[in-house]
Amino acid sequence: MKITRLNNRAAAFLIGPALTAMFVVHLIPIFFGIIMAFLRIDVSNLSDFPRVPFIGFDNFKYLFTDGSGVGQRFLSSIGNVLIYGLVTIPVGYVIALAVAMLLNREFKGRTIVRGLILLPYITPDAVMYNVWRFIFQSRVGIVNSILSGLGLIREPIIWLVGDNALIAVIVASIWKGWPFTSLMLLAALQTIPQDLYEAARLDNASWFQRLRYVTLPMLWPVSRTLLMLSVIWNFHAFNQFYVMLGADTASKAAVPSVVILREAFGTLHFGSGSAMAVIMLAIILLLTAIAVFTKRERSVE
Amino acid sequence: MNFNIVKRRRANSKFWNVLFVAAIILVVASVLFPYLWMISGSFKRTIEIQSADYTKPGQEPSLIPRQPTLENYQRINRTVPMLRYLRNSLIISIGTMILAVFISLFAAYALSRLEFRFKRLYELTIYSTQMFPGIAFLIPYFILFTAITRLTGIKLKDTYYGLILTYTSFALPFCILMMKSYLDSIPKSLDEQALVDGCKRPAIIFRIILPLVKPGLVSVGIFAFIMAWNEMLFASVLTGRDTKTVSLGLMEYITTNQARWGGMMAACIVVSIPVLILFTTLQKQIIDGLIKGAVKE
Repeated sequence: MKITRLNNRAAAFLIGPALTAMFVVHLIPIFFGIIMAFLRIDVSNLSDFPRVPFIGFDNFKYLFTDGSGVGQRFLSSIGNVLIYGLVTIPVGYVIALAVAMLLNREFKGRTIVRGLILLPYITPDAVMYNVWRFIFQSRVGIVNSILSGLGLIREPIIWLVGDNALIAVIVASIWKGWPFTSLMLLAALQTIPQDLYEAARLDNASWFQRLRYVTLPMLWPVSRTLLMLSVIWNFHAFNQFYVMLGADTASKAAVPSVVILREAFGTLHFGSGSAMAVIMLAIILLLTAIAVFTKRERSVE
Repeated sequence: MNFNIVKRRRANSKFWNVLFVAAIILVVASVLFPYLWMISGSFKRTIEIQSADYTKPGQEPSLIPRQPTLENYQRINRTVPMLRYLRNSLIISIGTMILAVFISLFAAYALSRLEFRFKRLYELTIYSTQMFPGIAFLIPYFILFTAITRLTGIKLKDTYYGLILTYTSFALPFCILMMKSYLDSIPKSLDEQALVDGCKRPAIIFRIILPLVKPGLVSVGIFAFIMAWNEMLFASVLTGRDTKTVSLGLMEYITTNQARWGGMMAACIVVSIPVLILFTTLQKQIIDGLIKGAVKE
């Protein structure tokens, strides 16, 4: 009994700072943000906070009745982020897995290659996405130059505005994202006991069968965690879109973070901005719940 | 016949080896390509970039600068105060790194070594805060900052400590989990023995644990540093004239009037240097740390 109490006190001291930071930066603002979605709050009454009127779901209604079309833009931004994720995550995963399997073999210079492929992960986002923005410039960039050199295009393609914008961001994001996944998969690959492959080989299993029945199942725990995190983090996507396409919400490739940022800090509609943020939060909570639920289901089996 | 099989296998394996090397080269080349473009751009004259046009022979955008120049580096601070942004980023990122390392060490120690009430709940909250999208609490966070400043007169927006607090808190969940798996790998008997010998908790943490988890401190520190160096969403709202970070500053090379790609590429290289130095010197720890933090069941 005494020991438990002592530990409670020691624990309180030790986790105190982390807990405080969590409350101040995450929990209180989130709570506050949910309330704000139901208040008529704007620049004029910001300072008079306790007396801001409660307006129920008006902020949500406003999104779709206001002439500015912010609700439409928000919906299409959710669509964009979904397409973005549906391409980026699987393609990134396949590249990551392929490279991890290549690097799982002993060869001269493996450490160097492993270090090199980590470069995209550690180079700052702003740096790399600006470089990709330069690469994709229609006139001075190198992509169009290469494509026309190969005889694939006649007219320069405009990459960063309009329909192609999402493609450009997807290419850059895959390039930036796969190395991290690959490193995790490589670490997991190295823990697979070699006997499993020996046994498979004795059974005359083909390369594809070994992949299907040994490698992939053994990688599943790590893959599941990585995929789950990428699906959720996917909704946070901001840097790549902000750097490559700017804060233009009329862009066909705007994402929710950019739309909300503009609504709240561009047009200073904090209420409707919060309403969209709450919708996004709900989507993510739902996804997390599904992920946790399926995980539990599996472990029960 | 037996001989034939061996021969075929050898030829076969030679073929696969060539393919293997080709694949590795392809991977490395596609990773390095944007870097080459960045480096080459940083040495190009503005006129070369401006007049680049692939339809005109002799003016195609090329990987090798036609007339290499250092002017982009010499003028790095002229149109955009890049060195000031660099200083801001360094102060904020190093501040975040130091705070995150200590706070996460304490919290992870409690999670790894102690039993306490609401431990499960606390752990669950750590996991879930990682899921919150920044945009969901940026607006209220901004308004709280404004309110606190109005009530107490303490300035939070556009200050180093305001941003350091913010980023530390962003980095903490992952840092705590990473640090915990380092601590879990240190035998508990070690600090139990010290406790029996009459050592106090702080002494145990600083004298016994701290030296043993050095690699963990390094990984956690670097993770926090990179996180703060990269962040743009909150920086775009909470920084101002005095605290603007490099991530945002880089965008200033391109304005509606002028696109200074050469200057931007030179700045990109300068901005990457601190991170690259950190990484190359500590590659092993970073890789270990990432794996420990992410691949955990």
